[in-house]
Amino acid sequence: MAYELNTVTALIVEDNYPMREITKALLESFGVGTVVVANDGEEGLHQYKKTNPDIIILDWMMEHMNGLTFTVQIRNDKTGPNPYVPIILMTGFNEENRVKEARDCGITEYLAKPFTAKTLYSRVTQVIERPRPFVQSEDFLGPDRRRTKTTEYGGPLRRHDDVAPLPPYARPANLPPEDIVLVDA
Amino acid sequence: MTAMTTDLHHPPTPNAMHYNQPQRRRARFYNPPNTLKQKVGAGGLSADILDKAQQLIENNAVDIRPWAEIQLERIRNYAQKAEDGLIDAHQEEEIIQSLLHASMQLKANGGMFHYPLITKIADRLLHFLEVVERLDADALEIVMAFHTTLQAVLHGQVKDADTPHARALLDALVGACTRYFKRNAINEE
Repeated sequence: MAYELNTVTALIVEDNYPMREITKALLESFGVGTVVVANDGEEGLHQYKKTNPDIIILDWMMEHMNGLTFTVQIRNDKTGPNPYVPIILMTGFNEENRVKEARDCGITEYLAKPFTAKTLYSRVTQVIERPRPFVQSEDFLGPDRRRTKTTEYGGPLRRHDDVAPLPPYARPANLPPEDIVLVDA
Repeated sequence: MTAMTTDLHHPPTPNAMHYNQPQRRRARFYNPPNTLKQKVGAGGLSADILDKAQQLIENNAVDIRPWAEIQLERIRNYAQKAEDGLIDAHQEEEIIQSLLHASMQLKANGGMFHYPLITKIADRLLHFLEVVERLDADALEIVMAFHTTLQAVLHGQVKDADTPHARALLDALVGACTRYFKRNAINEE
């Protein structure tokens, strides 16, 4: 049995054409049924409302509207189809302060560029298998910025905020543990 | 996890209390329905699919040089603008942000399109620009040293980042940055 990704719609918002095309090709090779692309945040918002994607893969730095502004709009737009849509942010930044900045805007996962097929897959499995609870406060709506690290504990989960470890199939071989969880509090 | 609500925009409010006091600053936690999981089921993807996907990256025929030349031209122009002076502190910060953007683009895309050495060099430039306070003459000289090196790598189509020559190039650039911050002691308390 394998993921049936053919019914999934993914939206890629990326202003760099080669990166956009290779990300699209990767998702299609994973079996994603519909991949919609947008050249910047504004076009991305239009496509988001039009296609109601199941997952968004987003570049950070774009002209007109950057990825963080895009994310804040998605999370707070009451007319949008799904403020909880998982958002994977792709960026060349990997400094901790940048990760926190992105996390505080409501992204779900962080994907450092350049990336491999396995790291992209690992982020996709994270949003499928370990979706974050959402937090709504006066100044924030987005995925809970804390995430319990995966442990080898195999017993029952009794606390309401227990997080189950990833199933083996969602854990690509040869991927270091720290590559799985980048957005820890 | 199960959804506590089906109304996406009006999640429920739990009646949490602390020290027998009602909450005044409320943060509400809830689990949206995991529609993605419902759609895809279980099982993951096979190693074969992932290997084939990786081949797409490794065998892509994109020639990134024309695009990278545009980023390098941007770096050169912004550095020139700063060197010409007549900019205030706000404009200087804008120039640093623009340099950061171009450097980040080179870092992010170099390694995806057969130029891992571009990624490594641009990463060091990014680190420099993340912490530099002013674009004084010395800082601009370092930015231009990065620019010249990146251009040489691109023109020479140097794709291997693990040669002694590549390491020497990186060491020289990092050494220049280190000496700059020793001279300027920006983080000295």
